[in-house]
Amino acid sequence: MDRVTTGEDLLEERRRRRRAGDPRITPEGREILLRLTTGDLMDDFQAALDADVEADPVLGGHYTDDEA
Amino acid sequence: MLVIDEYLAVRVLVGAPPPELDLDETLALPAYRHYRLLQRIHSPGTGQLSQLLSDADQQAIRRPHPEVLQVLDPRPLLDEAAAIGAAYGSPGLLVGETLAAGLVHGRRLWFGTARNVGKRLAEIADDLGISLHVSEPDGRR
Repeated sequence: MDRVTTGEDLLEERRRRRRAGDPRITPEGREILLRLTTGDLMDDFQAALDADVEADPVLGGHYTDDEA
Repeated sequence: MLVIDEYLAVRVLVGAPPPELDLDETLALPAYRHYRLLQRIHSPGTGQLSQLLSDADQQAIRRPHPEVLQVLDPRPLLDEAAAIGAAYGSPGLLVGETLAAGLVHGRRLWFGTARNVGKRLAEIADDLGISLHVSEPDGRR
C-alpha cells in the first residue's frame, strides 16, 4: 500500500521550512544579519533602532528623562 | 501565534531561530516593529541595511514570506493600543501596538534581547499580566 501523506508529515515539512528561513536570504546577508542580531553589531543595531523611535514621538511616545 | 520582536524576526528569516521558539506556532511581528526594521532599510545613517544587504535580502525583510514570518495587521489592534496609551500616559504606537498584540495573542511576548524590551513596555506588561520571554544570543545574558 502506498504511503499517504499524513498531517504529521505536513507539519514536519512546515517545521523544516521554518527552520531553514527565507530562501531569498543570501549567505552574505545572513552573516551580516546574524552579526546585527546576535553578534558584534548588536550595539550599533540597537542604537539605530532606539534613535528611530526617539526621533518619532508618535512611534515612541512621550518620554520623561528617567524613562529613556 | 507567538508575537516576536525585530531581533527574533530577523533570526527567523535567516534560519537561526532560538531553540526555545516553538516553530509549530505562527510567528508574527507587530506592524510597527516591522516599520522599525524598514526604517533601517530606507533611512540614511548608521545601521542602514541597504548599504549592507543585497536586493534579495532586503526583499525578504520588506515582504516576509508568510509561512516563515507574518506581519500583524495593526488595524484590529489599534483600539486596544489607544486604550493602553490613554491608561499609561502615551507610551507610543510601538509599545501600545506590541502590548495590544500580546494581550490578544496569549498574553506573552518574545524578544531577542533584553535591551529591546524597554522600561515602559516591561512595566505595563507586568501590570497587564503579559509575560515577557527573552532569548538572548548564546554567550550574552
